[in-house]
Amino acid sequence: MDRAAIVHQNFLSRVSTGDLPDGLPPRTASPETLMRLFHAQCLSRQLDRTSRVMQKAGQGYYSIGSSGHEGMAAVADALRPTDMAFLHYRDAAFQIARADQVPGQTPAWDILLSFAASSEDPISGGRHKVLGSFDLNIPPQTSTIASHLPKAVGAAHAIGLTRRHRPEHARLPDDGIVMCAFGDASANHSTAQGAINTACWASFQSAPMPLLLVCEDNGIGISTPTPEGWIAANFAARPGLKYFACNGLDLDDTLRSARAAAEYVRRRRKPAFLHVRTVRLFGHAGSDHELSYRAKQAIETDEANDPLLHTVRLLRDSGAATGLEALDVYQRTGERCDRIAARVVKRRRLETGADVVASLIPPKRNCAPSNGPSPEVRQQAFGGDLRALAEPQPMARLIGWGLTDLMLEHGEIVVAGEDVGRKGGVYGVTQKLQARFGPDRVIDTLLDEQAILGLAIGLGQNGFIPIPEIQFLAYLHNAEDQIRGEAATLSFFSNGQYTNPMVLRIAGLGYQKGFGGHFHNDNSLAVLRDIPGLVIACPSRGDEAVMMLREAVRLAREDQRVVVFVEPIALYPMRDLHEDGDKAWMCRYPGPQERIPLGEVGVEGDGKDIAIVTYGNGRYLSVQAAKGLEEGGTRARVIDMRWLAPLPEAALLEATKDCPAVLIVDECRKTGSQSEALMTMFAEAGRSGVSRVTAEDCFIATGPAYAATLPSVDKIKAAALSILGAAS
Amino acid sequence: MTKTAVIICPGRGTYNKDELGYLGRHHGNRARQLAEFDAYRQSQGQPTLSALDAADRFSAARHTSGDNASPLIYAASLFDAQAVADDYDVLAVTGNSMGWYSALAVAGAMSAAAGLQIVNTMGTLMQERMIGGQTLYPFVDDNWVPKPGLRDQLLALVAKISARPDHALDISIHLGGMLVVAGDEAGLTAFEDAVAPQGGRYPMRLPGHAAFHTGLQGPVSEAGKARLAVDLFENAKLPLIDGRGAVWQPGTYTATELWDYTIGHQVLETYDFTGAVQVAAHSFAPDVFIITGPGTTLGGAVAQSLLACDWDAISTKDAFLARQAEAPLILSMGREDQRASVVGA
Repeated sequence: MDRAAIVHQNFLSRVSTGDLPDGLPPRTASPETLMRLFHAQCLSRQLDRTSRVMQKAGQGYYSIGSSGHEGMAAVADALRPTDMAFLHYRDAAFQIARADQVPGQTPAWDILLSFAASSEDPISGGRHKVLGSFDLNIPPQTSTIASHLPKAVGAAHAIGLTRRHRPEHARLPDDGIVMCAFGDASANHSTAQGAINTACWASFQSAPMPLLLVCEDNGIGISTPTPEGWIAANFAARPGLKYFACNGLDLDDTLRSARAAAEYVRRRRKPAFLHVRTVRLFGHAGSDHELSYRAKQAIETDEANDPLLHTVRLLRDSGAATGLEALDVYQRTGERCDRIAARVVKRRRLETGADVVASLIPPKRNCAPSNGPSPEVRQQAFGGDLRALAEPQPMARLIGWGLTDLMLEHGEIVVAGEDVGRKGGVYGVTQKLQARFGPDRVIDTLLDEQAILGLAIGLGQNGFIPIPEIQFLAYLHNAEDQIRGEAATLSFFSNGQYTNPMVLRIAGLGYQKGFGGHFHNDNSLAVLRDIPGLVIACPSRGDEAVMMLREAVRLAREDQRVVVFVEPIALYPMRDLHEDGDKAWMCRYPGPQERIPLGEVGVEGDGKDIAIVTYGNGRYLSVQAAKGLEEGGTRARVIDMRWLAPLPEAALLEATKDCPAVLIVDECRKTGSQSEALMTMFAEAGRSGVSRVTAEDCFIATGPAYAATLPSVDKIKAAALSILGAAS
Repeated sequence: MTKTAVIICPGRGTYNKDELGYLGRHHGNRARQLAEFDAYRQSQGQPTLSALDAADRFSAARHTSGDNASPLIYAASLFDAQAVADDYDVLAVTGNSMGWYSALAVAGAMSAAAGLQIVNTMGTLMQERMIGGQTLYPFVDDNWVPKPGLRDQLLALVAKISARPDHALDISIHLGGMLVVAGDEAGLTAFEDAVAPQGGRYPMRLPGHAAFHTGLQGPVSEAGKARLAVDLFENAKLPLIDGRGAVWQPGTYTATELWDYTIGHQVLETYDFTGAVQVAAHSFAPDVFIITGPGTTLGGAVAQSLLACDWDAISTKDAFLARQAEAPLILSMGREDQRASVVGA
């Protein structure tokens, strides 16, 4: 007999005979509350059982259950349904109990639809079995690797910020709190530790952080036991974090502690850590053979402490229900699940690729029109810079001004990153922004890239348009899952209901003259390129950078997209193009209405001998190379992709169609760079005479050899002549 | 074989000419309970239900006024529900509008006598105050398929009119393929003037109906709370689904909470009958929906509510009728043919 059947039989027989586990009588919960939460617990348990039946019948696709964690129903009861909850995957009872707080909800139907992967599943549209609900303020996520903690911290910060600057699309109430649940095993994840540290860091300096962290400690992570006492030892004395603990098997104790913790968070606007001790029943998942790694006695000890048995005792002791009445609730709930399951398995499922892809790109939303700031307001913000607007400037300065105008026009924009405030960024791009807009909207974060991206996701979910900055491209990698696994997936997994628009600025790419080596000159965007739905922009000249940034903000604000804006560091201060002092790479600040739309490429020159397709620093070098080629009688045009993803295929094919040869100049590595997609694209379009110059598959050196592995003007010229020679 | 069922109790407007004598025809064996009801009515100085039901002829003025119609409908609903055969496993009870009061008694949230007191008091208060009125307008076509965009247009129209000075208008009931709109005379007239006439019947002003389920009923709610004590209410034996689609599971609420909803929110806010039926389907998945009498008019609204959520893959009137012919999904006790399969031998 499998463990689910054993637990079920134990419940039936022990309740029938009144053989209930010992415990204290209820002190907090009313009989009605206990009964209400028992209903939620029974539904959660019976859904677990039904999921296994459905899976065996080939009609269900998920069997990781919530059994043993049903005490989370009491945590839901201690909160408001408007408190955003980022749930652990064992929190069905939480969602069900919360559904009970909002009239018209049908949690059994909804969760069973998700088991069946029906396209009518109201949260993911059949894309994933996740807990989640738009109406219940439960964003969907996987939660398996604690990657939801940073955004929970971000969302909590957003509540504080909303009090001062309420965005048009704000969702959370000012007196709301954010709840985030996770298991004892995932509490060890560096992401969890980083996020909790961030919450403490904020709280320690009295920044509002209304965050309730809930650790569901069942003592085991799949097969690896959590050391006895580890969670308490780890979290009971963190600075700025108030620790609460309860017995999650006991609804009354859990409710009391959860209320106290929630009250603390709501009133003090400080984070709390609620340690809920639970058991894990039914093993890790339907396919898990628990006896292969765990002593039978340990399993049976947990089973003897089935939280539903404890609740039946509380019902008895409070006079809410007899054992037989409780048994009736349990059994009728099971019958209800069976009846509903029989129907949901007949509901529609996703069929085509187009069905699946449909929610990848979020829906557009209406935004109140803005006429922009008045001349007076703009004058005040720009101050002395206003006179300089008419003069040619390097890219760094123009981007800073672009940000100023965007922040003037859209009060919901928040800039955040390491050193972006007081210092104004390592390269001065965000200089004066904090003085202009205050520390609320220009946030100096702690040194943790996951925290920065989590902050952005949380802000985006509450109506802000965050513009987070990653200081150097190489620093993205320890945090990239926040984009890949979280930000980019939210619309997909929520069927377009939840979004986290943002413009992520990343300073990157090579060619800083001898400074920094690899960690300040990373030249790989591969980690971003394959993320579905992501927009990647890479400007090469200051005026275009501003116009692309405006489009990036529009894409985030109106189309709710996640946009990555890669700024070539080496071009930030660049003034000259062909010779010292020509100032040919400086530009005037473009008029406020000028914008470069997504997918529009830049074409420079009208040469027909060869088209050079490039971006970023590659464009700068290619324009230089084109001049050299022209002096030798070869006329080239230089095409700046500008938008690296989605690849502007039609525009590129159109821009190169009358050139017999195409040279791709890609400053990223041969492997994994844009050049691979471009070569493929031209080949699939039947184009011949296509070649590429790329960086070598190597990291970048510091010192004089900084550019030795990268494309150079000479390499570009040589490659161009080589193709033309081969073609002639 | 035991079949599972959700019982649905109808609202006002269901005791008409054809229903005259309904209690006598179907419930002669409930004479004792009817006598108790009659006694209560006499104590209030009102005509007895027996007399009303046994009248020689139907009088619209007499039989459809709130103080008489409400208790007549209540008694018929309650007695019908009591007559449902034992081989139906009743999973939950819901109702439309004043059918909520009937549902409370059917589910055991109050005694039959307490139910009568509540329905009689509220019906009488409504009749005495007669604040505003109701009008009915459909947004589905003859095949019960929603006309594209019409429902949203009607909701927008109601919101627009209600924003005008000296106009009160709101959605009273979401009733399957229809909206019941309620308001004061200015609001109702503005609505009726703005919508296109349909089928020679709609917009249909409901005679003798007040602006139920809107804020205009504030005085009725207050008077009801003053007259009706909390201890008339108790925990039901069966789950109830209210006019918000909320499920009241036995043992999970206090009498005060039920009293407060029933005489407060339920009287003052939009009644989402469509939502209640859909929650009944999704949360209980019964084999059949049994609509108690009197009358037969609620069947369409129940069917339309189920069609709107594509219940059992039924999405048109034709598909529904085919299903009804094969294995009925809805059994209306007000229809003789369907009643026979519901009541016990």
